[in-house]
Amino acid sequence: MAGAEAGQAINNEATVAASGRLRAPLYVAWQITNECNFACMHCIEESGPGKRFRDELDETQVFAALEQMMALGVPYLSFSGGEPMTHPLFFAMVEYACGRGAQLKIETNGHYLTAEACARLRDLGVKAVQVSLDGASRAAFNRIRVLGEFDTVVAGIQRLRDAGVPIEINFSPTRFNVAEIGAAVDLAYGLGAYSFYTGRTMYTGNAVKAWRHLEVAEDDYAGFFDVLRAKAAEYKGRMRVYFHEVGLLEELRYRLREPAALLIVLPNGLVKLINALPFVCGDLRRDTLEDVWARFQSAWHDPRVASFVDELSRDPGKTRALHQWIHL
Amino acid sequence: MKLAKYVKFREEKFGGVLFETQSEKVFTLNPTAAAVVREIGAGIDEDKIATRIAERFNGDARTIQQEVLSFLRDLRSKGLAQD
Repeated sequence: MAGAEAGQAINNEATVAASGRLRAPLYVAWQITNECNFACMHCIEESGPGKRFRDELDETQVFAALEQMMALGVPYLSFSGGEPMTHPLFFAMVEYACGRGAQLKIETNGHYLTAEACARLRDLGVKAVQVSLDGASRAAFNRIRVLGEFDTVVAGIQRLRDAGVPIEINFSPTRFNVAEIGAAVDLAYGLGAYSFYTGRTMYTGNAVKAWRHLEVAEDDYAGFFDVLRAKAAEYKGRMRVYFHEVGLLEELRYRLREPAALLIVLPNGLVKLINALPFVCGDLRRDTLEDVWARFQSAWHDPRVASFVDELSRDPGKTRALHQWIHL
Repeated sequence: MKLAKYVKFREEKFGGVLFETQSEKVFTLNPTAAAVVREIGAGIDEDKIATRIAERFNGDARTIQQEVLSFLRDLRSKGLAQD
């Protein structure tokens, strides 16, 4: 290609680019365990105490998978769960990924953020720690984060800030915390966050059972997003306020056309197309990451995937079955 | 000049990608642009990159140099590279 094209060198910009032409994923979101010390009302993964999968990857499998990710040049990983910090190999995995040059985000409930843990995460060079903080009040937070404690989590975030670890905050709206969104954004900024993420809470996992307590009315969502637009403008240049206003269906229809270069790895090594669909396209216990990536790209064209999305438009309640995995 | 702290570069058949992991934005690069980013990664001085790229790719050298300089400015303005 001629040098004259250098002027159009940056010719595409997207959030986690479409996967079609890439030789490997750009982002692996790895749910490293389903175990959690909280039992959140809305948890997509139905995590909780004693909810570790019986067949979660063992030490050899974990590091074999990590090695493949590094060898293929996956630049960005996240470790989530469950609560990733309950995993016995958590810090060894962080050390391995960061030591091999990957950028790593930890998605945690914030309960285990001791001063020592925060210093260790800083020293290992994690890109960011994302903490779920669903509310600006102890009452709202403790209601949704069953077994969680607002004051402990806020203290953990303060320790991250004191250690100099970049902080992201995640907020899941419910009917009882939706009015706190403005105060929650302010709190996140006050705690030193550089990013704030939110979007519509999904009807799946634990949320199915608790939906009557969680469901946010459309009018309330309208006000919620109005506040977020105002807060995004208010904090521009100081903290990024990200929010996904479109519903799940719109997102899935877009992904059918443009699958993201993102693999979702479950604690047992199964690889999903996307969190919001039940389809599995590989198993890192027996498939190479390269094979899984090739299958991921063809799996998005499987007619069962488009059919599921079509059915979802007629029956939004189908998301309740996301954990009944369908192997493509 | 160097890539910004949260920017990762990966070579691809079509050229390469720059992944800004803080905003999770991806920028695709054609082969020439990927070559420029490789030069940055190799620690080549900014004022020498345009000449080196012009020597390597076919086309009018002056045009290529101007476009490389424009691309370098673009990288800096998007926060993808820094001094």
